[in-house]
Amino acid sequence: MPVIDVTELTKRYDGRTVLDGVTFSVEEGEIFGILGPNGTGKTTTVEIIEGLRTADSGSVRVLGLDPIADGRRLKEFIGVQLQHTDLPDNLKVWEALDLYASFYERPRDWRELLEEWGLSELRNVRFAKLSGGQKQRLIIALALVGNPRVAFLDELTTGLDPQARRATWELIKQIRATGVTVVLVSHFMDEVEELCDRVAVFSHGRIAALDTPTALIDGVDAEHAMRFSLAADVADDVLEAVRGLPGVGSVQRSGAVVTVSGRSDFATAVTSLLAREHVLVTDLRIDKRTLDEAFVALTGREFDV
Amino acid sequence: MSATAKLTLVESKLLAREPGSLFTVVIPLFILIVFGSSIGPDDTTLLPMVIAIAIGLVGLYLMPTALATSREKGILRRLSTTPVRPASLLVVQLIVQFVLALASCGALLAVAGAALGARLPANALSFIAVFVLGTASMFAIGLLIAALAPSGRAANGIGVLLYFPMAYLAGLMQPVSQMPAILVRIGEFTPLGAFRQSLQDVWTGAAPDPLLLGVMAAYAVLVSLAAARFFRWE
Repeated sequence: MPVIDVTELTKRYDGRTVLDGVTFSVEEGEIFGILGPNGTGKTTTVEIIEGLRTADSGSVRVLGLDPIADGRRLKEFIGVQLQHTDLPDNLKVWEALDLYASFYERPRDWRELLEEWGLSELRNVRFAKLSGGQKQRLIIALALVGNPRVAFLDELTTGLDPQARRATWELIKQIRATGVTVVLVSHFMDEVEELCDRVAVFSHGRIAALDTPTALIDGVDAEHAMRFSLAADVADDVLEAVRGLPGVGSVQRSGAVVTVSGRSDFATAVTSLLAREHVLVTDLRIDKRTLDEAFVALTGREFDV
Repeated sequence: MSATAKLTLVESKLLAREPGSLFTVVIPLFILIVFGSSIGPDDTTLLPMVIAIAIGLVGLYLMPTALATSREKGILRRLSTTPVRPASLLVVQLIVQFVLALASCGALLAVAGAALGARLPANALSFIAVFVLGTASMFAIGLLIAALAPSGRAANGIGVLLYFPMAYLAGLMQPVSQMPAILVRIGEFTPLGAFRQSLQDVWTGAAPDPLLLGVMAAYAVLVSLAAARFFRWE
């Protein structure tokens, strides 16, 4: 049975449709990514799953429980790291962990969490005195102190330096290794590619695609592009020949710049043709296939954070 | 320790670490000491004034700022994802602030009794009743400020803005004997003014005026209901 079951969620704010029939499920023990720009409904969806908001229609079940009707029971089993949370300025690190641990029936030993998240030396530091990265680590640790079965993490590594990001990623993988299911909301492509077993790509209040990061990237082979500049003018029939190559989808020319998009290994065929026809080109670029491209392909828009 | 007990312990620590707490306790004490030395032990004006000042400061300024800050920082929201209800935090904060108000009053009475030889009210029950009503009415207003203020800083500002005119009308800045009668009368219909006057009556050994008690009770009940109705959790 899936750990989270979301069926046909809809939500409207002021006549605007924010969620338009969102359906997906999350399996136990996976790291499930939710990817999308602001305004596409990903935060609203996660807040509905957490029980912070109600949907207009549709249903949500987490561990078989309704987040609204069975909220109090469910909250024993989930841990939430919200995006814009602060703690009281004068609260010490250990006091925060100790306090939140007291909310749960079977919490973790918070001293262990202090160690794991590199907060031991900061145990007596007040919240306002922590750096951005240290605050973030504490807030994530607080989401885990209750020993949750499902952890919801929203913009996990915002404000962290590259080293801290990687360290955090390792810790998330360790969490998964203990059997905790993780729902990760992120706008960082590299984070999603690194961590997520599956990703739901949100666009305009709907899920545009749901698959493993690799499958999503491979799936948009067709939109893979290459670009080059013509050193000298060429006859139209050369570009026609390029168009006719196997795997080539389209050829566009703007002045001296030519963009060819296609699937599989069309780039090699194109460069071979250009060499045979003695067409000199400069600034040859073959765009690396990444989740960015997949996103653009799937949602028809640039990922604008 | 249970969650509520731990919350109470933590909120108490936080209140003690807050510079504003010291401010609200020290100011009335300061006024007491400065003016106390120039009045006799039969005075029935100064202690009611400083007690009203202390309660006013906690109810209008310290408490709303604490509550509104909790909301502004997303603490209430974060709590609503745990098994503990955010309302528990608010209740704990109110209790802790009330204890501070009690402590402040206790400190004033102790200093007045010991250092200035001032008389304490003979009728303890009347005093307690007036104290509870007065504190409830000021806290109700503070709750309404907390309900509506968009941020901790806004609550702070509103509280201070409200405090000064209220304090003046209540006779906390100038003794009522030196104020125009019409303003004194208006002041008696404000909870702070009713509180000060009732305290004064208790000090002189008279029974408190039911009208003034009614004013405080009405504010306590009606304004609390409004606060509950308008309270924003996010």
